[in-house]
Amino acid sequence: MGGLGYFPGDSFLHKTNPIIKLIISLVIVTAVFAIPSLIAPISALVLTFILAVSAGSGRWMLHIIKSMIKFSIVIFVIQTLFIQTGDTLIPLFWGLRVTYQGVMFSLGFVLKLIASALPLALVLRVTKGIDLADSLNETFKIPYKYAYAIASAMRFVPDFADEMKDIIEAQTARGVEHDAKGFVKKARLLAPICLPLLINGVRKAEIAAISAEMRGVSNR
Amino acid sequence: MLKFEDVSFGFDEDLFANVNFKLRPGEIAVLTGKNGVGKSTLLRLCNGLLKPTRGKVSVAGFMTDEHKTSALARHAGFLFQNPDRQISKHTVAEELLFGLSLTAPDNQNIEEAEKQALLADITEEFGLSPEDEIFTLSKGYRQLVAIASVLITKPSVLLFDEPTVCLDKNQKKTLADSLSKRVKSGVAALVISHDLDFIDLLDCKKLILKDKEIKE
Repeated sequence: MGGLGYFPGDSFLHKTNPIIKLIISLVIVTAVFAIPSLIAPISALVLTFILAVSAGSGRWMLHIIKSMIKFSIVIFVIQTLFIQTGDTLIPLFWGLRVTYQGVMFSLGFVLKLIASALPLALVLRVTKGIDLADSLNETFKIPYKYAYAIASAMRFVPDFADEMKDIIEAQTARGVEHDAKGFVKKARLLAPICLPLLINGVRKAEIAAISAEMRGVSNR
Repeated sequence: MLKFEDVSFGFDEDLFANVNFKLRPGEIAVLTGKNGVGKSTLLRLCNGLLKPTRGKVSVAGFMTDEHKTSALARHAGFLFQNPDRQISKHTVAEELLFGLSLTAPDNQNIEEAEKQALLADITEEFGLSPEDEIFTLSKGYRQLVAIASVLITKPSVLLFDEPTVCLDKNQKKTLADSLSKRVKSGVAALVISHDLDFIDLLDCKKLILKDKEIKE
């Protein structure tokens, strides 16, 4: 299934110019935030999913959506509790209540969050970082070292996610209960992974910078 | 101690099929095979990080599909290829004591003096200084810290994935001596290695993963 990085393929989306893909994803994200209606994020989600299926990544996208939903539920609950204006739907304790306005705003917020994250994730899925850097350099005449820096930064997101997965696996094998159930317990266990994640991230960035310099990226 | 019964595993197709092997207490086996053949995957099946598609794996008498990996860590000490993924504390002493606290559920019953004695023994064995900052050490020493943090917990089964990649000749000898000593005392060890010099230092059973099965 793969993580958040590039996944090889020969679909139409894989062959499309990286700049076109980037522009389409930015248009979708802009529309999601510019149109004040739930129809915008829902349409964006449907469109992105269709594009993902066309690139052979439908199952991958469902997996990403599933992961984001867990996180979104927490945001939805917190957001709903913070908005206390509007008609009461469910009265709660200590004078708190769930309101119609709170639910609609929070629903829109999490839908926008998911709908704006997926297009860029799909671009990373179907575009090699180096192709993106080349296109930015050729089309917008962005100096190669900056284009390369942008592409490298985008590559670091999936690399970081993979690194985190490997560290969690290693810590679980040592006895840290990442395989236990319960959100709060799992959240507390994130502390032991912070140090290796940070150190490995800095090391990787340093090695990537040195190797880019040794290959003469700054001379291009 | 470590038992594979008709174990198959694969994602889209079987990486290996109907694998049977047994590792008894006091035995050490070195597993070799071409890159990408599934050695590290097989090792992950031993402590339940992966579950077999078919068949049963038991480690230290526990079926891996019935217990959480974090619980099996008390019995199966696992070393990864990259030590930096296992290390999560600043100093050698903190890291080793953290490993000890994770695998001892009743660690509050371990006397402070006993903890310090275990720490002193293991750091002396591997030539480590307890107060050293781990991430300023060379990769070879970080690997030794990761090895020591596994061994300090005294697991009955050791699962090591390429433990000598970053080690120099003397460090390999230290590791081989340490493994041999523990195996003599009844520990079972499965080690993935391509390092012929290191393998020569061990009195071990040699296994090869080839054509989707383990051959001796």
